[in-house]
Amino acid sequence: MRTLPSILSLAAALFMAESLAAADGLLPPNQPIEQVVDQYLDARLKEEGITPAGPADDTNFIRRLTLDLAGRIPTVEETKAFVASTKPGKRLELVERLMNSPAFVRHQATEFDVMLMNGTRASVRAYLLTALAEKRSWDRIYRELMLPDEQDAKQKPASEFLRQRVRDLDKLTAEVSSIFFGVNVSCARCHDHPLVHDWKQDHFFGMKSFFSRTYESGGHLAEREFGVVKFKTTKGVERQARLMFLTGKVIETATLKEPPGGEKKSKKGRKDGSKNAPPPAPPQFSARTQLVNLSLEPGQRDFFARSIVNRLWHRLFGYGLVMPLDQMHSENPPSHPDLLDWLARDMVEHHYDIRRLIHGLVLSRAYARDSRWEKGDAPRASLFAVARVKPLTPMQLAVALRLAVNDPNGLPANLKPEEFDKRLQGLESGAGGMARLFEQPGDDFQVGVSEALLFSNSDRIRKELLSDGGDRLLGRLKQLKNPDEIVDLAMRTILSRPPHDEERKLLGDYLKQRADRAAEAQRQLVWALLTSTEFRFNY
Amino acid sequence: MALNRRFCGSPLHAVDRRAFLGTMAAGAAAFAADMTQLNVLQHPLLAGELKKQQKRCILLWLAGGASQLETWDPKPGATTGGPFRAIPTSVPGIHISELMPQMAKRMKHTCIIRSLNTRNGDHGGGAQLMMRGRRDEPNLKYPDLGAVLARELGRTDSQVPDYVSFYFATEGRGMAPGTAGFLGSRYAPMELYTGMIPENIRRLEGISDGDHKQRAALRDLLSKEFVRGRASHSLGSHGEAYQRVHGLMASEKLFDVSQESKKTRDMYGPTQFGEQVLVARRLVEAGVPFVRVGRAWWDSHGQNFETHQELVPELDHVMAALLDDLQQRGLLESTLVITLAEFGRTPGINPSLGRDHFATAWSSTLSGCGVKGGSVYGKTDAKGERVAEGEVGAAELFATIYRALGINHQKNYYVGSRPVPLTEPGTKAIKAVLA
Repeated sequence: MRTLPSILSLAAALFMAESLAAADGLLPPNQPIEQVVDQYLDARLKEEGITPAGPADDTNFIRRLTLDLAGRIPTVEETKAFVASTKPGKRLELVERLMNSPAFVRHQATEFDVMLMNGTRASVRAYLLTALAEKRSWDRIYRELMLPDEQDAKQKPASEFLRQRVRDLDKLTAEVSSIFFGVNVSCARCHDHPLVHDWKQDHFFGMKSFFSRTYESGGHLAEREFGVVKFKTTKGVERQARLMFLTGKVIETATLKEPPGGEKKSKKGRKDGSKNAPPPAPPQFSARTQLVNLSLEPGQRDFFARSIVNRLWHRLFGYGLVMPLDQMHSENPPSHPDLLDWLARDMVEHHYDIRRLIHGLVLSRAYARDSRWEKGDAPRASLFAVARVKPLTPMQLAVALRLAVNDPNGLPANLKPEEFDKRLQGLESGAGGMARLFEQPGDDFQVGVSEALLFSNSDRIRKELLSDGGDRLLGRLKQLKNPDEIVDLAMRTILSRPPHDEERKLLGDYLKQRADRAAEAQRQLVWALLTSTEFRFNY
Repeated sequence: MALNRRFCGSPLHAVDRRAFLGTMAAGAAAFAADMTQLNVLQHPLLAGELKKQQKRCILLWLAGGASQLETWDPKPGATTGGPFRAIPTSVPGIHISELMPQMAKRMKHTCIIRSLNTRNGDHGGGAQLMMRGRRDEPNLKYPDLGAVLARELGRTDSQVPDYVSFYFATEGRGMAPGTAGFLGSRYAPMELYTGMIPENIRRLEGISDGDHKQRAALRDLLSKEFVRGRASHSLGSHGEAYQRVHGLMASEKLFDVSQESKKTRDMYGPTQFGEQVLVARRLVEAGVPFVRVGRAWWDSHGQNFETHQELVPELDHVMAALLDDLQQRGLLESTLVITLAEFGRTPGINPSLGRDHFATAWSSTLSGCGVKGGSVYGKTDAKGERVAEGEVGAAELFATIYRALGINHQKNYYVGSRPVPLTEPGTKAIKAVLA
């Protein structure tokens, strides 16, 4: 392993020298993503004279990676095996094992579902499970969500994306722009953006024009052939919007008028057909289809490509190349413009392959950095000099809790992968209920005191987490006599690492002082580990 | 560029309330440890400081929409006036409904705003609007009044909750949950839906107080080493949340009305609403910045007059008791009491002898801190169908509330690098209402 990367970096250095001649100033294409990431990030760090944090140790790395790829903490056996292995390519092997596991698909489906449906009352997770298991490209998924084929039973669940928003076209416009293009144009509804010259009212209403003909009728999604959006400028002048994309490109069409009489449906697109009526025929000119096609054309697809790159980067690094995620405009440049451009170009050239990007990002040195900054204030987040701490999502936390309170013997090393996944699924299916108790973290996530009260005083939580039945960690700890052994197993199961010396002493003493009430003391120990800040976050 | 330099987006550089409250915290540190001791106000110097600096707010939420014609803006004799008369109050020239004799005697504390036009007559939209002072945007969820006041008036390390909401009835509740919006869970309300004691505030049986505290201390110790070298707002909030647990558990006493004398309890009366408002007084006295008490079933589409005959005297009695109680304890100067709802009710009386939703010309009242008591702002026409003078909307009302509490209503929060003022830019508070 040691020689291969050095050969590659030599090659990369040669490429870099060559690239100074490259037309767009970017590093050449078709290189491992992880190398490009590190090159660009390291170059900036060097410019600023900052030495980044060193690599996270093995226990830290496997915990972070397992949470990010499979939505759970590693088992005691998984961690032991990984730490003990001396194989040079063990990190790559771990990445590939996790990405090939069914849990990867389930976790990514959950994450994408949040990205697409947060704030609505529905889910497209069932659709995403299929789409991601089949390794569908991101542009295909985009198309299937924006232009769902409701006749196909397998595709129909994807229609929830539009359905949940069809009654509020401003919301539909704003959310599609934000999610797929990284652009929040909703302020431009009322006025040109005061500082950002990119966003004028024309842009908001231009985008809205692509959606304004969409409506719901008799339980079916439908689209009119004709329609026009009118708006008032800040000066009170009434204007007619055109079908204009965020790039300013306009689609000329003769359909920009009110629907001719007879075709006209009710203005707000309310349900005006009975449920048994057949779906209205699709229009000959579909504005939404025009949008989807246009947004993927060369010269127009930068928004789409950069947005998905930025969002996946943000999910893994905890901080985007552009922040906030829906403020991709000229007054808010990326921290590493060339890197974002390179990754976007790579994404397009590889047909919007989500896995390829994830695979590359997690193999970078930058991803694998330690999250502790020893001396003084850490450098700003946009330098990626140190790994960022991320709060666990509700599902991650719920699944992690369930894994953490079970006897590790329930997931031994010699289990076949299918059996392992089966048991895992059992744990995951029970986690959904608990997950609903936690808040989905946004960018400035604050833990509320109600969470602390919940863990401190809720009977339900106590029952779920502190039982000491035979299949539970506490059940197993009860049988151990040596406090050191108890502390060791508890920490390896819950925090996925062995105790430091001071912790061994602290926790050992805690148990010894309560030797007459061993079971109770063990419960308190386990509680303190489960509610520790270390458990609550992905570091 | 310009945008980024003005605000780098780092939450560490956002308004730091801890620093802002630093002076107060320093002075009050000595006794702040257990704010649940209501007699903390006996220490004269600190009590004076505290009273001067700490504002709080009680919102009496008349869920369903109380009728302004049967409360604060009666039109006896008009075809829309209904059967009830108007009575003079202790302030010459001001008349209110005869259903409110006790408030009539105490008009000097209260300012009535009769000219609200908020345009939104549906429960969900109206509730959203009147709890936030504005509508949510697709990509931006605003914090409601309670969350903003929790942030502006609360303490970082508070041992009492910042925002408490009582809402037992089911009417309208799903449409008006308390929400901290983009301010985050730190400012989310402690909601009481069924019991007078907040959820999870009581230690479970089967664990002793000592064990409960010791395991918490162990948790803190373990976490201390972890956070070293890993500073972040999110990370910090986790530890802070746990540190507040025992103080909040101790504040359970605040929710217990039996701690009050019989005399006080009788003053508020035996109803659920009365008890909850009494608890609200206990909470604000102990430093809780905002309490909402929701009293439901005002939505009188039928039998409007019977409904109001029943509900208004209760409101009258309880509100009068609250104002008296606050005044006697020296708290009225620093406590703002608001009556508000999703909307008012139509002057037109429908065939079921009811009044329907009406947001075109209705009333709200502000009493106590920062307002000109004994006054009326705005006028409706003879039948109460339109505002005749001094029309204001939700934004102006909220601007006025913030100003009354000493908060700059144009101050900015930041969501990413986008400045979000507390009220829409250009909103003016109603000067005539402010003291």
